[in-house]
Amino acid sequence: MSGVREPLNYGYYPGCSLHASAKEYDLSTRALFGALGIGLTQVPDWICCGATPAHNVDELLSLSLCAKNLILAETVPGDLAVPCASCFSRLKTTQHELTGDAAKHKLVAKGIESRVPLAKKIKHPLEILGRDLGLEPLAAAVKKPLAGLKVACYYGCLLTRPPGVSQLDDAEAPTIMEEVIGAAGAEAVIWSHRLECCGASFTLSRPGVVVKLTADILAAAKDAGADCLMVGCPLCQGNLDLRQREVEELAGGRYGLPVLYLTQLLGLALGLSADRLGLSGLMVDPLPLLKRKGLL
Amino acid sequence: MSRIGVFVCHCGENIARTVDVEKVAAAAARLPGVVFATDYKYMCSDPGQNRLKKAVAEHRLDGVVVAACSPRMHEKTFRSAARAAGLNPFLCEMANIREHCSWVHEDRAEATAKASDIVRMMVARTKKDNRLAPISVQVTKRSLVIGGGIAGIQAALDIADAGHQVVLVEREPSLGGHMAMLSETFPTLDCSQCIMTPKMVDVANHPNITLHTYAELETVEGYIGNFQVTVRKKAKSVVEAKCTGCGVCSTKCPQKKIPNSFDRDLGMRPAIYAPFPQAVPNTPVIDREHCTKFISGKCGVCQKVCGPGAIDYDQQDELIVEPVGAIVVATGFELYDIGRKPEGSAIKGYGEYGYGTIPDVIDGLTFERLASASGPTGGKIERPSDGKEPKEVVFIQCVGSRAPQKGISYCSKVCCMYTAKHTVLYKHKVHDGQAYVFFMDARTPGKNYDEFWRRAVEEEEALYLRGMVSRLYQRGDKVVVVGSDVLSGSQVEIEADLVVLATAVQARGGADTLAQKLGISYDKYNFYSEAHAKLKPVECATAGIFLAGACQGPKDIPETVSQASAAAAKVMTLFAKDQMEREPVIARVDERRCAACFACRKVCPYGAVAEKAIRDRQGKLLRTVASVNDGVCGGCGTCQATCPSKSIELDGYTDEQIDAMIEAL
Repeated sequence: MSGVREPLNYGYYPGCSLHASAKEYDLSTRALFGALGIGLTQVPDWICCGATPAHNVDELLSLSLCAKNLILAETVPGDLAVPCASCFSRLKTTQHELTGDAAKHKLVAKGIESRVPLAKKIKHPLEILGRDLGLEPLAAAVKKPLAGLKVACYYGCLLTRPPGVSQLDDAEAPTIMEEVIGAAGAEAVIWSHRLECCGASFTLSRPGVVVKLTADILAAAKDAGADCLMVGCPLCQGNLDLRQREVEELAGGRYGLPVLYLTQLLGLALGLSADRLGLSGLMVDPLPLLKRKGLL
Repeated sequence: MSRIGVFVCHCGENIARTVDVEKVAAAAARLPGVVFATDYKYMCSDPGQNRLKKAVAEHRLDGVVVAACSPRMHEKTFRSAARAAGLNPFLCEMANIREHCSWVHEDRAEATAKASDIVRMMVARTKKDNRLAPISVQVTKRSLVIGGGIAGIQAALDIADAGHQVVLVEREPSLGGHMAMLSETFPTLDCSQCIMTPKMVDVANHPNITLHTYAELETVEGYIGNFQVTVRKKAKSVVEAKCTGCGVCSTKCPQKKIPNSFDRDLGMRPAIYAPFPQAVPNTPVIDREHCTKFISGKCGVCQKVCGPGAIDYDQQDELIVEPVGAIVVATGFELYDIGRKPEGSAIKGYGEYGYGTIPDVIDGLTFERLASASGPTGGKIERPSDGKEPKEVVFIQCVGSRAPQKGISYCSKVCCMYTAKHTVLYKHKVHDGQAYVFFMDARTPGKNYDEFWRRAVEEEEALYLRGMVSRLYQRGDKVVVVGSDVLSGSQVEIEADLVVLATAVQARGGADTLAQKLGISYDKYNFYSEAHAKLKPVECATAGIFLAGACQGPKDIPETVSQASAAAAKVMTLFAKDQMEREPVIARVDERRCAACFACRKVCPYGAVAEKAIRDRQGKLLRTVASVNDGVCGGCGTCQATCPSKSIELDGYTDEQIDAMIEAL
């Protein structure tokens, strides 16, 4: 590579999940980006994006919540890093809706008493690592390659969809997760349920549905020979990890599949400690697997 | 002083809904030179035309303006009426207040004012119309047919049987097109090859048909009755006159690993090949891209084994110029490919079906080859991945069709019927097998079509599931089909051994380029446009060019054959006269003013301008001027806009007339 690279700096919108159930996603994202020399500046006074419930109840409310965050995001420099797939999707959807529909923009602007800036680039960490930083520099930063680890990359519904809104990768046949984890030396298994829905927030209202969906996903990953799953969404992680025991009881088998955030797996490859990556926060303990594979 | 009559048409409600036609007529009546103005509900009807004729006589009109639809629609109608009333037809003009006004505006007052403006302009122009006489041109009674599928074959045979010469051009080494690839045909299940190959032979043996296979249209010049087409005959590397079609060359060719596109890549073929055993002509061609002789210079086996010495490695492409009077375009279709498409492409492909990477997911045409007795499996249903006989087969309709989000919103028309046929053929060959069909609607209009579909469902026990398939993925050696059954309101998952996609019928790649060569129009999907959706379904807007088959839109075989015969009938109508009249709207040179710069010749797209010598009585050359060939001029007016000395003008569109129109505005 020629010349000196501009240091990468991003605004950071963690979202509610990363402050609660997915603390380890926040922890590992900050640790990984720090280790890679990528700057993160948290958006001051950020508020909830409305996630999956708000837009089902009141579209205007859900757009306004995100619009408010887009206004706040203007106060920090750089593109906006958004690790939660749901926040990512809602912010992108809001930009898409307000860009394409002047009347809607007017309505939202009236509600929050401000026009909404729509030019900020919203980026998932996958995009930052795989595209902005690039696979080669990422691979070059790896200190402990994840050799021998078979990873089932799980995109879920929201990372790549809807087509034309997310624009992270091909909506139905993406490759960015596989590319990124491949750069860290792991083997991405070929499997069927990468893009199936896990049931997301139905975990509270329709747990039966969620158990069935997660069971299918876990079984498919196991069948494909995966050692663990890699996710980029706190809701997916919650369902697959938290409900795994329940699924096992129902199905009568054992999956034993740790469900790690992409930032945790990459952090390991960069030599970060289990503590700094919040590995103890996971329900299905990844430590035995990682020790077995000689990665810890 | 002129005596112009103005006739304002309501066009039912098409015009009258938005334009106050009475007001337009009243305003026209007040224009200087207008002696009569009226309005009528349907001017193009018989009573409407009679009004026009009567008014010409009663009011001694010397010009007529019909304010109605586009001249493309009815100019001919009203000019004929004017002629019948004794008026030179070119003194009758159309003011387009439908397409240019009522259809595109909503405000009644504004539309009425605009209609009056249009009428006023046309009145000003008509006052300066000249009496023109139609031009007679010779008709070359030979026809070009482009495409050697069933459409082209039918059109060629009909025209040739009527006693006219036909030049048939086919891109592939053999006639046959898609129909030759099919196994059996719906709704009677007669073998496609059995009904197709005799017609192919008829073409080859017909004394009136010149057949160029492995050939493509290079250029087209001229106009109706007088086209000059250049055909590129690609080098076959085999001398047709010497070749006996024995096939030894193909048998001995050491390079045998080239995917056979006629078998949808299911089988392999050698580098020197005829696409299939019943090919017409039976002359093989060398696929130079894959031939070892052409790649490395070594080999030459075919030349050594060829008894008659027909192999010629040095053969060159040949350009053949053919004069023809009419052209039938019958270039057919291709199937939607679910593979990944470049970013920004209107066609999206199916990532959820694996972009075509799952080996046991095939398209309908591939299934035809599997089911065909002359196919790569000899008619045994064997799936591509491991050659096993599939026991559970899922057919998915409307893949690509009726899916605007995938780039195509139209219905491909043939898939409902051919999928029903596939389930029947499958059941006949695999008695213990089960066919499932995911469908949106079963569209089966056509003679004995719905009965056929019912037979597939009721007698052959195909299980029809109404709903879409959201995902296909490989699990072990099965293809898992995840779909919905909206009638039972449940999600369905089927472990299939084989999945057959009824992919959309699309225009051929390159259809747009051919259309540009021919000067014909096409829609956003690159299907060729007929001159009128209902009343001129086989004619192009470009005179002398006709359409047959799926190049105009998805069609099944009966419909294709009907259209081909209709196109042939139109060609015969054109050939019924030795001379044809053409519109005299052509450019004329004012020889006194022409400065002989020949800017007109440079810009003329028809090559209609030549140099003309002006000599005195002793034959001494005085000067040269530009001169327009009446037969060749297309009447586009480019020369008129270009001429620096304003000495070339289009009859009916003179500068004086255009100026008058602008002044009237």
